[in-house]
Amino acid sequence: MKISGQKSHFLFPSEFNILFFIVFCLLIASFLGQYSAFNGEFDGFVQKHLMRIIVGLVIMLGMYFINFKIWSNFAYVFYAFTFVSLVIVDILGSIKLGAQRWIDLHFFTFQPSELMKLALILALARYYSVLSLLEIREPKNHISPLILTLLPSILVLKQPDLGTAGILFCVGLGMIFLSGFPLKIFGILIVTGLLLCPFGWFFLYDYQKKRILSFLDPNSDPLGAGYHVLQSKIAIGSGHLFGRGFLRGSQSKLNFLPEKNTDFIFTTMAEEIGFLGAFLIIFLFFALTIYFFWAASESRRPFPWLLCHGLGMLLFLHVFVNIAMVMGIVPAVGIPLPFLSYGGSSLITFMISCGLIMSALSYRRQHADV
Amino acid sequence: MLASEKSQKDRKIRAKIIIFLVIVLSAILLIELYMLQVHFSEKYSLMSDKNRIRLSPVLPKRGRIITSDGKIVASSVHRYRLIMDYCNDKIFKENLTLLDRCLKLSEHDKQCIAEARKKARPHMSFVIKDKLSWDEYASISMDLFKFSNLSLETIYVRNYDMPLEFSHVIGHTGRSDDSIQILTGKTGIEAFLNGRLIGTIGNLQTEVNALGKKVRVTNFVEPKNGKDIKLTLDSKIQKYVYDIISEEKAGACVVLDILKGEVLAMASVPGFDVNLVSNKITSSQWKSIANDQLFPLINRAAICVYPPGSVFKIVVAFAALSEGVIAPGDRIFCSGGVKQDDRVFHCWNRNGHGSLDVCGALSWSCDCFFFEIARRLGIERIVKYAKKFGFGSQTGIELPNESYGLLPTKSWKFLRYGTSWKPYETMIVGIGQGALLSTLLQTAVMMGKIYANDYNFTPTMIRDNVKARTWHPIDPKPLETIKKALCQVCLYGTASRSCNTHYGISGKTGSSQVRKIKTEEAGVNQKKFDWKLRDHAFFVGCAPHNAPRYVVAVLIEHGGGGGAVAAPIARKVFDKLMEKQR
Repeated sequence: MKISGQKSHFLFPSEFNILFFIVFCLLIASFLGQYSAFNGEFDGFVQKHLMRIIVGLVIMLGMYFINFKIWSNFAYVFYAFTFVSLVIVDILGSIKLGAQRWIDLHFFTFQPSELMKLALILALARYYSVLSLLEIREPKNHISPLILTLLPSILVLKQPDLGTAGILFCVGLGMIFLSGFPLKIFGILIVTGLLLCPFGWFFLYDYQKKRILSFLDPNSDPLGAGYHVLQSKIAIGSGHLFGRGFLRGSQSKLNFLPEKNTDFIFTTMAEEIGFLGAFLIIFLFFALTIYFFWAASESRRPFPWLLCHGLGMLLFLHVFVNIAMVMGIVPAVGIPLPFLSYGGSSLITFMISCGLIMSALSYRRQHADV
Repeated sequence: MLASEKSQKDRKIRAKIIIFLVIVLSAILLIELYMLQVHFSEKYSLMSDKNRIRLSPVLPKRGRIITSDGKIVASSVHRYRLIMDYCNDKIFKENLTLLDRCLKLSEHDKQCIAEARKKARPHMSFVIKDKLSWDEYASISMDLFKFSNLSLETIYVRNYDMPLEFSHVIGHTGRSDDSIQILTGKTGIEAFLNGRLIGTIGNLQTEVNALGKKVRVTNFVEPKNGKDIKLTLDSKIQKYVYDIISEEKAGACVVLDILKGEVLAMASVPGFDVNLVSNKITSSQWKSIANDQLFPLINRAAICVYPPGSVFKIVVAFAALSEGVIAPGDRIFCSGGVKQDDRVFHCWNRNGHGSLDVCGALSWSCDCFFFEIARRLGIERIVKYAKKFGFGSQTGIELPNESYGLLPTKSWKFLRYGTSWKPYETMIVGIGQGALLSTLLQTAVMMGKIYANDYNFTPTMIRDNVKARTWHPIDPKPLETIKKALCQVCLYGTASRSCNTHYGISGKTGSSQVRKIKTEEAGVNQKKFDWKLRDHAFFVGCAPHNAPRYVVAVLIEHGGGGGAVAAPIARKVFDKLMEKQR
């Protein structure tokens, strides 16, 4: 059923304009950032990145035309499929005696842990969308979502990928909170969880312990484990208000920065575009998150409402943890910055997220009466 | 309807909490960004300008491995290579033309360099030319200042002098997985004593100019080279042993000096080229080694396990004498087979050995005799004595992943198969077959324990490895009988054709079956079977008779009879050892 008086539009309704504008700005920033991080060389890696951006755009726009109901119907199937591929990656990893996080499909490699983020959100949204208020009040109905969250988190933690495992866990918790989990019990769980944290120390790998120690005092061993974060802070700090100028960041160009095109891309860019540019990037991410939440509030049905909130939390968690990490606010964990970091899996995941948002909004328009 | 509205309201509040959190966290990010880029920016700019110190690791030289006769079997040698930092196309081309003038590169070289650049990880330096000759090294280091981002690097590679002979004992090395890529032992002594061999990594702190070029060295922490390791193995004996075994398809040999408690030789055939595996190996070369039907990568002396066969009868005879289930003079009649659990278990000699005492049974390796005393002993008592002689546990040799072997017991069988232990299984274990498994080294150590008269005898391969151990003497009465019997084996028993010598060898042959033998195949010459179906040939012996010193254990995989195949080889090794002693 269509709302009467709606403006005719070409392909996409005008309410997507803001989304398109934000994503477009971020993608341009992404391309320029990578171009600079690769020392101003277009051939090879940057070309590949541009290809991924285009593929991502096509996927995002294509998602708009997929019936939204499919996501609700196939949420569990999608979750099961992703979970199985996670297990496969774990087994392959243990056979090859080393960390492996991706599956090689010859024409491209994909990282199930990235896909798991979406699968988890879909599955949880699907689960809670059919529960009634009374059922949600019952703590026992929250056990299976907790298992749905914990299983992939533990698998990813074993890979070992502390960052992604943490994101999965936090997004899952956020969804459980949003669904209406009794606040008292939630509070108690959080407090006991925090109290148990010191015991988790024993389960961490040596290199992870080193990172956390160096985070607590980065200057203690500037050429050791805290080196990266200190160099990153120097790079950001030397950017000043207006930056050193495009392609002129000395920290990144002289290879003081590690991973300057993946996890530390924000540093690379902040050094060159300064406070004003970096502020703009953070603002774009903030605006995109708020757009996701707005999309949630627009849809009255529980499934899209939970889904949009989940995606918004996923996006913001990535942004916050990554940027906080390069500024030394949180310990160094390997989390890519959405849209900007080099690497296909992460980019495609967030392009799909945007596509899901569009899909949810258009579904709401078609079923406005409900 | 009311309930759903209430839940809607509740959820809206929760969503607002989330949005509130997002705003707070964003604010934190922006405040921190402001602090870094505006408030403290002067401080960080200064640090950035000063940011000229680079730290690079300086690798130590890995320790050598030297045999007891002074031959350096593993050493680290220098190699020079040319490294290029990641750079853009323009600089790359400039460098290449300059390099061409210096080195006179061929077209193929240029292609290789371009290829290496493509394959290099983003922003990582890559190797332009490996294995620089001294002349090349000299000419480039003269002109190095002209290049903007080339550097010369000295690395160490491992060189093995006797790669095949020592392949399993010394093992191979590879680069460590971290970014430093230091030489690290992967197998054998290289892995077991990696900590001693590897040394300590040094540091070179250099100052670079604004272009990232090194200006001067600010600090240098010298690396500490690894320690040399001296083996007890003798390169000549090792080579001799390896060459002899190599005449067969696959096998192994262990030579012990029981006076000093040292391993003189430990060879496993076929060996593999450790030089190839440790350094650059192509995937097809690796595949040909890894997929070889004879499994050259396996150490047949200490890691591969076999049923010990008749060699194990020594332990069973000793147990029977100690426990008093049989006296040295008691005789048991062998008719050529024993019936148990509705099955007939044949002696290897289907015509029977007649009436034999312990000495006779060991010299002729009579199966029926041992079926009977194993039945009398029971599996628990056999295992008890086997453990004393070192079966079922590691001998403690300086090799990683040494096998334990397997001593089957009732509880083991129940846990493994969930079925109960059958009486006939005790009998089969009594002749060293069935589920029983041991390494060749374990059988050699058993022999060493007997002739060193010490349950705690454990050999070592490392010279300065002083193992504190106590003497734990073996019960002399049964031991005398066993020694007498082992002497008889070589005088007129199963090994008499090859081991009857003037200096006197004592030993035991063994032929361990790898399958069940059908009635019609009894007594057929082993050479007529497929290689894979033939028995494993064992011989474990000690010499000379009046002052036991050397233990030799020989295994020929699928060799056939122990007396016919393994014993002559052991004889040759003994001859060589006696010649050396004189």
